[in-house]
Amino acid sequence: MKSSRTLTLALLAVLLLAVPAIGLLIGGGYIFRIATTICVFSILTLSANLITGTTGLLSLGHAAFYGIGAYTAALLGTALHWPVWLTIPVAGIVTACAGILLALPTMRLVGIYFAVATLGVGEIIHVTLLNWVGFTRGPMGISGIPPLALPGLPANSDMAAYLVTALCLAVTVGVVHRLSHSYFGNALRAVREDDQCAEAMGLNVVRLKVQVFGFACFFAGVAGALWAHSTGYVSPADFRFSESILVISMIVVGGLGSLPGAIIGAALLIGLPELMRPIGDFRMIVVGLVMFLSIMFRPKGLFGEVFAIELVRRRFGAAWRTGDRLGWR
Amino acid sequence: MFDAFLVQQLANGLSLGLVYALMAIGFTLIFGVLNVVNFAHGEIYMLGAYAGLLFITSTAPPLFAVLLFVLAVGAALGFSLERIAFRPFRRFRDEASLKSKAIREATLLSSLALSIVIRELVEKFFGASMQTIPQDYLLMTPVEIGPISFSSGQFVIFGLSIVMLAGLYFLLFRTRIGLSIRAVANNPMGAMYVGLNTERTIVATFVIGSMMGAVAGLVVGLYQGSIFPSMGFTPGVKAFVAMVMGGLSSIGGAVVCALILGMAEALTTTFVAQGWGDMVAYLFLLITLVFFPTGLFGGGRERA
Repeated sequence: MKSSRTLTLALLAVLLLAVPAIGLLIGGGYIFRIATTICVFSILTLSANLITGTTGLLSLGHAAFYGIGAYTAALLGTALHWPVWLTIPVAGIVTACAGILLALPTMRLVGIYFAVATLGVGEIIHVTLLNWVGFTRGPMGISGIPPLALPGLPANSDMAAYLVTALCLAVTVGVVHRLSHSYFGNALRAVREDDQCAEAMGLNVVRLKVQVFGFACFFAGVAGALWAHSTGYVSPADFRFSESILVISMIVVGGLGSLPGAIIGAALLIGLPELMRPIGDFRMIVVGLVMFLSIMFRPKGLFGEVFAIELVRRRFGAAWRTGDRLGWR
Repeated sequence: MFDAFLVQQLANGLSLGLVYALMAIGFTLIFGVLNVVNFAHGEIYMLGAYAGLLFITSTAPPLFAVLLFVLAVGAALGFSLERIAFRPFRRFRDEASLKSKAIREATLLSSLALSIVIRELVEKFFGASMQTIPQDYLLMTPVEIGPISFSSGQFVIFGLSIVMLAGLYFLLFRTRIGLSIRAVANNPMGAMYVGLNTERTIVATFVIGSMMGAVAGLVVGLYQGSIFPSMGFTPGVKAFVAMVMGGLSSIGGAVVCALILGMAEALTTTFVAQGWGDMVAYLFLLITLVFFPTGLFGGGRERA
């Protein structure tokens, strides 16, 4: 218990103190912007990992839910002038509702049929964002979204944007951690391994799937809202099928179902192309190669699920054995 | 009696659907045998178009020679694709791992990774913009039949898809290699037990499927007058959708669904608004999957 608390504090210190310190020392808004992007994509990857990694449903339309969150925040911020601390949770809730509604018709589907249905849902959302010009302003996108701000920091600073995003990431990691290392998480893994067997054991598989879609879409919406506020501009081009693919590859590189893996994958696939920038514009080639090599040589991911869960069980060993401390229901 | 405008739009939708169908044939063939999604099929299609274009601009051969050349290129591409993105992941030969989720996910993502790399490399070498195609080779000569005007490419695509389907059915049902392909598709372990060389059969499937993909890319590129690095993406996604709508391993079903998608798209674009075409195509997909969770022609396939 104690060592897990020190680990948590150390990670929080890196996230909230070390990265801003490095950013200030090197003196780059650039560092902060990359760090912010990594945090946003980490939240997004964590949420997609709940669906694809833990529950084993290959979702090819996750970027669209991210897009719903971004557009909700952008529209609330620009048209209704809601403050940022209100738009982010509201964007999450709206996305969760949309996710549950859109997921309901696909709940009967299994395997590749489910993947293609989510692809269809994602493309429908993208086409709607692109063509409902009266509401979303179509391909022009929405600009002038209010930036993230913290009291005590100059408005519109990159550091404020980073700190808010990092705080949201910390909260997301905490919540997803509790979700996936609980009875609920074990039930989700049971659905992944064999949904018919899980149903026969008395788990309500459809309800579990709907619930996990709700949770995951909430965080996807939060990620979208953070993206909208930190860049100040959203357009449908950011929420295409290729973004969903990017998120999937982040999960795979990090390790399906592994919580630290999701963050490592996001950091690697966003950070590595940026590091390679001096050599030339080989961003997507690097992404493709990293993906290919990691599937080839680390099929379980850089930080595989089994390893991650073992780590958590050892840390919480005592609580796990006495039983009732770590339960979710 | 017939509204000429409507018939014209139906014809346009039909040719759009045939473009998807050309791609879906090779896609479904590979899926049927290996039970894995080959995301790099769209890049084979694009590379076929580029190879044909390079051959045209360098030596100005007759169109038939270009087709043969592209077939050869497609065969080579299919062979290397199988080597690079699929063979390394068939590590074990027992039934459980041949049909497992893990190998399906691994090959899905490895082909996806490969397709990203190929697309970006082509973009690096040739640029992201459209290639200029010599005027003589464009399949855009207008042909008037009554009040409706077609372009010669529509006939070529129509003919090509019939030839390809007929050839494929001949190959699958009248030759030894077709027999072994069907056997492997049906039951890879059983095929191995009766002495078939499954590895060779899988390579043959990739070669045939990629030859079809490469020719489709060239012909569609010449018909639409546009050859560019991401040209395989949209038809690839549509072919994927058509395959799933059709029930995964049914080639005929995939072709029918590709035609439905193309028609829905063309009619919506004309009668509702530009840009909403994709919406209707994907709504069709969702409605199909809600009422037929295993596709239109899937039938009693085991759960995967």
